[in-house]
Amino acid sequence: MGINTQTKKKESQSPKILRFTKGERISHWVHALAFFLLLFTGLGILNPSFQPIMNVFGGIQIARLIHRGAAIVFVVIVGLMFVVGNPSHHWEWLKSVFKFTKSDWQHVRAFPKEFFGGHGDYPPQDKYNGGEKINSLITIFGSFFITLSGVVMWMAPWFPAGLVRWAYPVHDLSMFMMVAASLGHIYLGVLHPDSRAALPGMFSGYVSAKFARAHHALWYERVQNQQQKL
Amino acid sequence: MTRKMILVDTSKCTGCKACTVACKEWNELPAEKTQLVTSYQTQKDFSPKTWTYVTFIEKYKDQTMNFLMRKAQCFHCGDPACLKACSSKAIRQTESGFVVIDHKKCIGCGYCTENCPFGVPKVDQTLQKSFKCTGCIDRVENNLKPACVQTCQTGALMFGDYSDLLGQAKNRLSEVQKTHPQAQLYGEKEMGGTTYVYLLMDRPEVYGLPVNPTIPLSLTLWKDVVRPVGGIAVGGAAAAVVIGVFANIVKGSYRSKDD
Ligand code: HEM
Repeated sequence: MGINTQTKKKESQSPKILRFTKGERISHWVHALAFFLLLFTGLGILNPSFQPIMNVFGGIQIARLIHRGAAIVFVVIVGLMFVVGNPSHHWEWLKSVFKFTKSDWQHVRAFPKEFFGGHGDYPPQDKYNGGEKINSLITIFGSFFITLSGVVMWMAPWFPAGLVRWAYPVHDLSMFMMVAASLGHIYLGVLHPDSRAALPGMFSGYVSAKFARAHHALWYERVQNQQQKL
Repeated sequence: MTRKMILVDTSKCTGCKACTVACKEWNELPAEKTQLVTSYQTQKDFSPKTWTYVTFIEKYKDQTMNFLMRKAQCFHCGDPACLKACSSKAIRQTESGFVVIDHKKCIGCGYCTENCPFGVPKVDQTLQKSFKCTGCIDRVENNLKPACVQTCQTGALMFGDYSDLLGQAKNRLSEVQKTHPQAQLYGEKEMGGTTYVYLLMDRPEVYGLPVNPTIPLSLTLWKDVVRPVGGIAVGGAAAAVVIGVFANIVKGSYRSKDD
């Protein structure tokens, strides 16, 4: 990991540590905004009781068009972020979430208690803890399957009916899983008293060193050591 | 209104296609450019503007040729896959047994097209609406026969109450089977009992019809498993978040530390 200026002293006494690069933040927010636009424009087709709400988009037919446009952003822009600019952190994230370690499992086991405001016991975590890895995996597989099925639904006449029929349940299943995960994700990022300290990391890129030490000790130590070697 | 039935007795069909013209006439559907598909068949598939057509198969046996002709249109299933698949509750089933699309509600998503085991409904991409045979429900509900039945000259199309006509169909079948042992009824049991029932001269696969049409497994899984289970997953996540927020308020976690 060739990262310099990982930590920097802000004017005052509270030290900060860089968690997400600009590229990572762009990917996160483009994906998030496209996701919600896709969700809201998809609702009118999911259930007719949502169809009156589609007037905010200018009617159901416009909503269907926006769904397709947002799908392109959802896939192409975020896909491009893995190759243009400085994408190494994207790939590091991808590699790390597929490496599920023992301490990740220990985190996951203690997680429900933490989620509801208690204190679970688990070993020091790396940059991504077990819960974050699961959320990442749901996002990765969900995006993959919702894209494949979405393309088949979009280009339905090109595909045999026997395949298109299966795209519908796949699209819905991916959607439900990702929506469920995103609810928990937003709660932890915005409303959870301990973990919401991570939120600035997705805006400015920096989180407080105190938070990093408490929640991601392994990562924090490693970054500190690298700093000292410089 | 009682359950109705239309018997398509292919043993009496001469392939004159008057039914297809009558359909266009009554439903005010413009003629489309046709081309020779095979034999005397000039229409390959349904279209938003063509709701019925006649398929022709030339069957050779012992140096003689026999026409297998079949008027194709929506079967008006007893258990319609299109109705289950519809995204907009635009498809309903009448008491008389016809499956009709409400074009005020239809958004042209094509879910019916993809899920119909017979490939009947077709979406007009300009209007963004799905179209298919209505069974001339506007005629039927005013005590008239569907236009195709009205015009048929040979008695290949018959319209009546379901129970009466099914009995007649069975009598006719035993008659036809004397010369055509493979003849059979199609639609009596298929798809929950269809409103258009066929007396076929040969096995359904010879006509290119599915041997055992059913509601697609993927459709059942989608509507009866993925939807409810997914709803529970999302509802469960939402409930967990609400409980989490409350637990933290009760514990006073929001006041204690802020870093
Ligand atoms: C990423 C690529 C995606 C593509 C290409 C895509 C494409 C489609 C298409 C073609 C439809 C059919 C509806 C119509 O004909 O207007 C559809 C439906 C839908 N999409 Fe997507 N979509 C994508 C992603 C998403 C995402 C991320 C979500 C939700 C978060 C989503 C939610 C929905 C919903 C709820 C429906 C309605 C499904 C139903 O009727 O059960 N889609 N999508």
